[in-house]
Amino acid sequence: MSVVPREQLRVLMAEVMEAQGKSLPPDDEADLQQIGFRSLDFSELALRVEDEIDEELNFEAAGLRQVTTVGHVLDLLTEIQQA
Amino acid sequence: MSAPPVDRKGWANQLIDGIGGRTTTWADVAPPRLPSPAAVLVEASYDAMPAIVAHVRDGSELLVVAAARMDPELRQELSEAGFHLVDPDGGITPPTVPRASEVGRLWLLTSGSTGRPKRVGHSLDSLTTVTGQLPPRRWLCPYSPGTYAWWQVVTLGLEVPGQDVVFVDTAAGDAWVEAAARHAVTAVSGTPTFWRHALMTHGAGLGRLSLEQVTLGGEPVDQAVLDQLREVFPAARVSWIYASSEVGAAVVVHDGRAGFPEEWLGRATPGRPTLDIEHGELVITSPHHGHGLGGPLRTGDAAVVQGGRVLLVGRIDSDEINVGGAKVSASAVREVLLAHPDVAWAHVRGRKAPLVGTMVVARVVLRTRSTDPAEAARLTHWCRERLPEHGVPRRVTLLNEIPVKETLKSDV
Repeated sequence: MSVVPREQLRVLMAEVMEAQGKSLPPDDEADLQQIGFRSLDFSELALRVEDEIDEELNFEAAGLRQVTTVGHVLDLLTEIQQA
Repeated sequence: MSAPPVDRKGWANQLIDGIGGRTTTWADVAPPRLPSPAAVLVEASYDAMPAIVAHVRDGSELLVVAAARMDPELRQELSEAGFHLVDPDGGITPPTVPRASEVGRLWLLTSGSTGRPKRVGHSLDSLTTVTGQLPPRRWLCPYSPGTYAWWQVVTLGLEVPGQDVVFVDTAAGDAWVEAAARHAVTAVSGTPTFWRHALMTHGAGLGRLSLEQVTLGGEPVDQAVLDQLREVFPAARVSWIYASSEVGAAVVVHDGRAGFPEEWLGRATPGRPTLDIEHGELVITSPHHGHGLGGPLRTGDAAVVQGGRVLLVGRIDSDEINVGGAKVSASAVREVLLAHPDVAWAHVRGRKAPLVGTMVVARVVLRTRSTDPAEAARLTHWCRERLPEHGVPRRVTLLNEIPVKETLKSDV
């Protein structure tokens, strides 16, 4: 199974935001709500990752966790690709 | 139908504006002088309470709707259907086609999944599905004003002693958690998407809410979200409800499992809905149905029996895509794509996605047969200008030829 590395995930995330007329700040601590990264954006990012690795992501493998920052999103997607 | 009795059992229950902090009881709400029939537009759920009390007191015909849902076409439809339009600032627009008022009638608007929202007639009686005794609870109501789910929480607060309601609106976003904690909420009802979003945003931290009751409804409920909620709220009863404007609340499941027991099929109990499966479709005969909708109603929801449970797996008509509770017509999206001068063929479907359950995706063939990603971005932009946000395909895949199946038909 191929894996999208963290830095590439950031590129994909930036593309999702740019398509919405927003920009992704360089800071991993940036708050998702403040930068306007919403449920639909997260879902689109997950689909982009699935298309890259040609496999469905298993979010249940991630368990319960708090996802409120850019870094949380990148960590989550990195982790569940390796699950 | 006559005016409902004024003295409701929940008259002393508290009503709380979760974000703004305003508090009252049903008994203390001063009813406005409303025309009848009236379509009352509200910016916030809490602001609808005076209109409801006016209905309770004099039986005036009422439709409550979120101002954000109104567009010029809906205004015109309601006006032509005889409704006075009461705007949030109190301004009243008389109907273009006046008619006599129907005492005791309440109207709901469906979500308008595959066309314009439909009006479904109800009354306080038909909307009230819980009337027995319940332990005292303080409910959070995050639903859009005037929807069936919203009325379920409102009538619970109106009819059952000890059931307070804290209202928050969609615009509040994640602030509902803070509001729920501040107002000591003990029961929350929301869609699976609402809960998935909350679980993702707050994780196990959501468990700081001391909930006794967690309810899901409005979308297909999967086992994963039920399990996560049980993990976060071990002391709470986790329930899911199947309900709609047309059939009312028809299935209530408290065992923490997706689907409902197979033995419930065909069981006729006075005062309760009868459930059946016909040709793979859930069919319901309900005492809580909307006005003029009696008898068995085809729900349009596909049902399969698996391991002794009846699982509701999606819509029979795959045209409907449920994006986080917002319903999208695949054919309407396809029409928008095909209206683009460069598009030769388009196929639109729902694709499983985290948080929102399903997202709209499209496969498109351009007349130039180009597969340049920049063209896909331009199509997305085209859709964004013509569709609501949840209807915009988030993934547009460009193909260089139209796929043809063995039947020589294209898969649209």
